[in-house]
Amino acid sequence: MTKETNSLTGERIDGFVSLETGEIDRSIFFDSAVFEHEMETIFGRAWLFLCHATQIPERGDFFESVMGRDNVLVVRQKDGSIKALLNTCAHRGNAVCRAEEGNARSFLCSYHGWSYGIDGRLKGVPGHKNFYKGDLDKSKHGLREVAQVADYKGFIFATHDPTAPSLDDFLGATGRLSLDLLAMKGDMEIVPGIQKFTIDCNWKIAVDNLFDWYHPQVTHASAFAPSVLGSMLGGGGQNGAEEIDMTDLQMQDGADLDIPLGLISGTNFEQSVVLGEYGHAIGGPTATSSGNADMISGPWRDTPEAKEALGPAGAGVAGHPNLFPTLWVVQEMSQLSLRIPRTPDSTEIWWFTFADRNLDPGMRQFSVNLVSHIFGPAGLLEQDDGENWSQATHQSCGFASRNIPHLLNMGLGHGEIIDEGGLKRIEGFTSEHAQLYTYHAWAQWMKDLDWDELKEATTPGDTI
Amino acid sequence: MTAETEARVGEDRLAAMFRQYEVEKFLYDEAALLDAHCYEEWLDLFSNDCHYFVPIRRTRMAKERDLEFTKPGEMAFIDDQKMMLAARVARLRTGRAWAEDPPSRTRHLITNIRVTGDDGDELDVESNFHLYRARLKSEEDSWIGSRCDRLRRVGESFHIVKRNVYLEHTVLLSRNLSNFF
Repeated sequence: MTKETNSLTGERIDGFVSLETGEIDRSIFFDSAVFEHEMETIFGRAWLFLCHATQIPERGDFFESVMGRDNVLVVRQKDGSIKALLNTCAHRGNAVCRAEEGNARSFLCSYHGWSYGIDGRLKGVPGHKNFYKGDLDKSKHGLREVAQVADYKGFIFATHDPTAPSLDDFLGATGRLSLDLLAMKGDMEIVPGIQKFTIDCNWKIAVDNLFDWYHPQVTHASAFAPSVLGSMLGGGGQNGAEEIDMTDLQMQDGADLDIPLGLISGTNFEQSVVLGEYGHAIGGPTATSSGNADMISGPWRDTPEAKEALGPAGAGVAGHPNLFPTLWVVQEMSQLSLRIPRTPDSTEIWWFTFADRNLDPGMRQFSVNLVSHIFGPAGLLEQDDGENWSQATHQSCGFASRNIPHLLNMGLGHGEIIDEGGLKRIEGFTSEHAQLYTYHAWAQWMKDLDWDELKEATTPGDTI
Repeated sequence: MTAETEARVGEDRLAAMFRQYEVEKFLYDEAALLDAHCYEEWLDLFSNDCHYFVPIRRTRMAKERDLEFTKPGEMAFIDDQKMMLAARVARLRTGRAWAEDPPSRTRHLITNIRVTGDDGDELDVESNFHLYRARLKSEEDSWIGSRCDRLRRVGESFHIVKRNVYLEHTVLLSRNLSNFF
């Protein structure tokens, strides 16, 4: 759908999200015109995460990623650089690579046999001399490169927009801090195996949930039952089967919501929210309230390199970042969770897991097990998320139901924004500031502003 | 029975048939426990040193087919020892495991059961499965794949020492994996 034919005027878009009331128009979660517009104004312009450099270390290594509806081959070149190529033959559009990842010397189209180098140059065209009479200029029909590709500390991003600001500018202080919270834990490399699964929900509901420290106490109550939590956190190491006490399991049945709120929900420990330009945000506990360490990497924030990268203000942040639009940096588990919109009510979730190359093998194994026990489709926490998101999407569509706004007004009006070291931060307890600001930024993107206007419109003010 | 077939059905064959019967009965009974939500009884079928592993599959070119599945030590969908399997069962009994409350209706169809190794104490058993899940009013999921089990002889029955579950999906089409294979 082109901008001329869809009905999404700036006025209508302004009505989708209210910073004054915290109300969100439900139609943004199911309207196909909204989805089509997102594909252009957000996924056609933003820097999108493709993969990590350690996924494709050798010449010819490739990983197929997604930018909106474009499948993109991220390929390691002979000179060590990285190219992002649209996975579509210049002749008739067929995919030139059907594998999700691997190593290739060339990409051969299975339709008519056009073959491309790993740099995307068109090398071979069957019948070039006899059928095309030599008229086809091969230099003009290579695989199309994505407009801009760049990396930040090994995290590779690309944008379809040749006029987009540099990745560094796009990330800004909030985005760089978000990635540093993972990158500075050590010499981080990918753990082979990207978990991919599909949730029948709108992508924005999956995204805003990552800031939501109000839901764990209820959504994830089963995982925080004492009989479950201990096994989940300890069960990845040495076999502890002797400790299983089945009588304890029975006692949990029907218990009240007597869960350790301080541990998980943040209703009685300090949190901070960071709001950045272009819609990046971080929400969740402060480093102090989460103990200034994680289970795997220890007190990594105290190294001189980490101190310098995070800065004094950033060192206190230990929440969940989202790089707008769809990259959750799950810094405490050394993971990235990418939410890929497929249709208005279908979203793929891709989990990328990292480990410090210097971890001893036992600890590495523990960390790999631990993350699969918590997140991913079989994770004891994430199992229970999907149905909430699905129902929140589908129950919003009804003729009468659609008129009830989604509410993100928790703490509204109480968020005083402190500007320190380039980071705009709100201190306090659980709130919905980060979610609401993300939707506000989303609406600014949808208005298709130019880059300067967009940056200004997504720069937080003094309060929220 | 003719004299000819009687001669062919030697003791070895009878023993193999009996073993096949024992293994099939064990796997069918196991599946019935899962479909009846008898998770504690199901958990008892696993040895204390068990490993339950559901690797991630990747679409790869034929020349890289040996790299399709992730290996132990790499990421997996499920990588559990007994304690974690017990945690999954305990979770289902908390009364707050929303992904399974209301409970899914599942049916495990177990087929193509083959004993591929037997050292007297432990057996290698391969089987195919179709796990069908119906959920809430109109939701359906299906997982088809194969399992490679190592079964340990314990009295008249077996313990599952190792279960590797190989799904045919690369991108899972379901919103979670809240049931056991």
